Amino acid sequence: MQKKAGVGFYLFLAVFIFIIMFPFLWILLSSVKPVAELFGDEAFNWFTNNPTVENYVSVFVNYPFLKYLWNSTVVATITTVYTVFVAAFAAYAIARLEFPGKTVILGVVLSVSMFPQIATISPIYIFMKNLGLTNSYLGLIIPYTTFALPLSIWLLVTFFRKIPFDLEESAKMDGASMMQTYFKIILPLAVPGIFTTAILVFIAAWNEFLFALTINTAESHKTVPVGIGMFQGQYTIPWGEITAATVIVTVPLVIMVLLFQRRIVSGLTSGAVKE
Amino acid sequence: MSTRLKSSKQDVTTKVNDAKKKERRTGFLLVAPSLILILVIAIWPVLQSFYFSLFDYRLNEPTKSSIHLDYTLDLERYLNNQPFLVTALDQEIDDAPPEVQGQLQDMKEELTEFDEKLREQDGVAGPYEEVDELLFNFEVPSEDLKFVEIDRSFGEEFDEEFESINEELNTLQAEGVLQQGDKLTGLSNALLQTVVESNFIGLDHYKNSLTEKRMWVSLMNTGVFTVISVGLELVLGMAIALLINKAFFGRGMVRAAILIPWAIPTAVSAKMWSFLYDGQNGIIAKFFADIGIIDQMSTLLTTPFGSMAAVILTDVWKTTPYMALLLLAGLQTIPSSLYEASSIDGASKWKQFTQITLPLLKSSLLVALLFRTLDAFRVFDLIYVLTGGGPANATETISLFSYKVMFGQTNFGEGSALAVIVFICVAIISMIYIKFLGSDLLGDGAKK
Repeated sequence: MQKKAGVGFYLFLAVFIFIIMFPFLWILLSSVKPVAELFGDEAFNWFTNNPTVENYVSVFVNYPFLKYLWNSTVVATITTVYTVFVAAFAAYAIARLEFPGKTVILGVVLSVSMFPQIATISPIYIFMKNLGLTNSYLGLIIPYTTFALPLSIWLLVTFFRKIPFDLEESAKMDGASMMQTYFKIILPLAVPGIFTTAILVFIAAWNEFLFALTINTAESHKTVPVGIGMFQGQYTIPWGEITAATVIVTVPLVIMVLLFQRRIVSGLTSGAVKE
Repeated sequence: MSTRLKSSKQDVTTKVNDAKKKERRTGFLLVAPSLILILVIAIWPVLQSFYFSLFDYRLNEPTKSSIHLDYTLDLERYLNNQPFLVTALDQEIDDAPPEVQGQLQDMKEELTEFDEKLREQDGVAGPYEEVDELLFNFEVPSEDLKFVEIDRSFGEEFDEEFESINEELNTLQAEGVLQQGDKLTGLSNALLQTVVESNFIGLDHYKNSLTEKRMWVSLMNTGVFTVISVGLELVLGMAIALLINKAFFGRGMVRAAILIPWAIPTAVSAKMWSFLYDGQNGIIAKFFADIGIIDQMSTLLTTPFGSMAAVILTDVWKTTPYMALLLLAGLQTIPSSLYEASSIDGASKWKQFTQITLPLLKSSLLVALLFRTLDAFRVFDLIYVLTGGGPANATETISLFSYKVMFGQTNFGEGSALAVIVFICVAIISMIYIKFLGSDLLGDGAKK
């Protein structure tokens, strides 16, 4: 269905993109307004005549926002590295080896990814509290396994399945051991898939809210979503800082999405689309 | 000759079998770490949630802050009060008027008799001595040591005994016949809390939840939110996917733009939209009020209908593009020759859609719907940040309700029961979808 796109089509596209991007655009424009212009009639002006960076400065000076960013980065990175590493072995076995019960295992993995978080939160919270792991990085990394590991396994299995079997067969013929085949043949070919999985797991861990909200309650250990979601001023809602903080977390995300969009799309659709 | 051939054939088969066995072993070995992690960190907690839900488990009440199936007895409390009560009674007997002396004497005897009975209980004597020794040296016994399990009948007997003694002392005190009444009643009061009852309550939380209006309202809210937002996302996502399923300039840009709302943390986007919906300076609220959808800017976040609409709109904004993306990927796997052939046959656009597109899209459509439905049903962060469940619980979903019971009221028993209800609902929804999907979902793509 490769039809040529007409003027009407581009117009539709423009409107569509505008609707999607409008909230971000508005937040960006608001973030450079002086605080006084965020309220009253001036709140509805598109552009301010007195652009300022005071909101951006305030986010870092008056709030532990840098700390939030650091916490999120640490937790999301460690979660990603460790779950993808563990999942790579399981996914390889499920995708490439013959052993009884592997469909059942994949079924278990899929069901676990459907678990509602709320159903695991009370035992995990109490466990973390008893171990003294609340308000620590490990206190989030451990529970993040509940969604990161099934997601990694699921995605990696689909990627491993796409690698041609002939290569493996011929390596076996040449007398390569199972481990040699894995590290010399499969792994290099799987790198793009592993990378895609890592991006998606990282985003999932970065965005997680419920565990972060309940387990790490101290300012010094909050993550970005909880930090921004719970942003409180002393007397009023600090919209200036909120808009600035939102812009700060969105910009790297936009860059990441622009760079890796092809990979992200292939990851998102690989589990869902049968080719 | 033939035997040699046979044996070499056997060699080959055993070799193949060995290789197979080895493959099996490696398979299990590689899967094991993941499987163990999933069992311990994901499946075990769900089972435990169910177990918690059978108890009256509240973190803020000392006697209910842990789970105990059996009756337990606090030896520290017992030994800090019982001996003193006995000595105090002794003194009182000397000073008291003759008409109550007998009564007090009986009490004292009952207490000493009961103490012997307690020491005869299984596994009590040892800790009893140890705790006594520690207290004598002004040391504090550990939690593990001071709580001893006793059986139910003895626990009840104990409670009855001390309640009657306490009552008698209180009446005597009220009559004003006791010399050291305050001391005696204080000690006997303290002894009342020595036995900690089991907080196992069976399915009571479920019974309460299922008859509680707030639970049904929250379940209803969750259902309304799920059905409307997933429905809108499906229709809009499908329309967008069909429209952009062609070659055009700037495809990459469009795809990136689509991904941004999906990639941003839900909590952040909820906060962002609460700024746009704000009753005084929210641009979207003003826009809606100006074009007449709502009568006042504040309608959006302060009325039940307005806030539900606001929550749904935010969800639709965030996930329609994602839905469109999934469906687009599905559309692109349909060979264009099918459409060419049918248009030669003179099939209308609508007919092409219903006869070619939909059937071929079925499995990716159902998978996308399954994941979206479950996500919507589990919704928490969006609503927690945007409305907090308000106004007047009009947007409170079942997950949020469960969270509030657990962490607001620290009632982990009831909260866990609600969480289990969420779990059961999710299980039912996925089973319905999987029935439609069949084995497509797990489909072993490994074709040799």
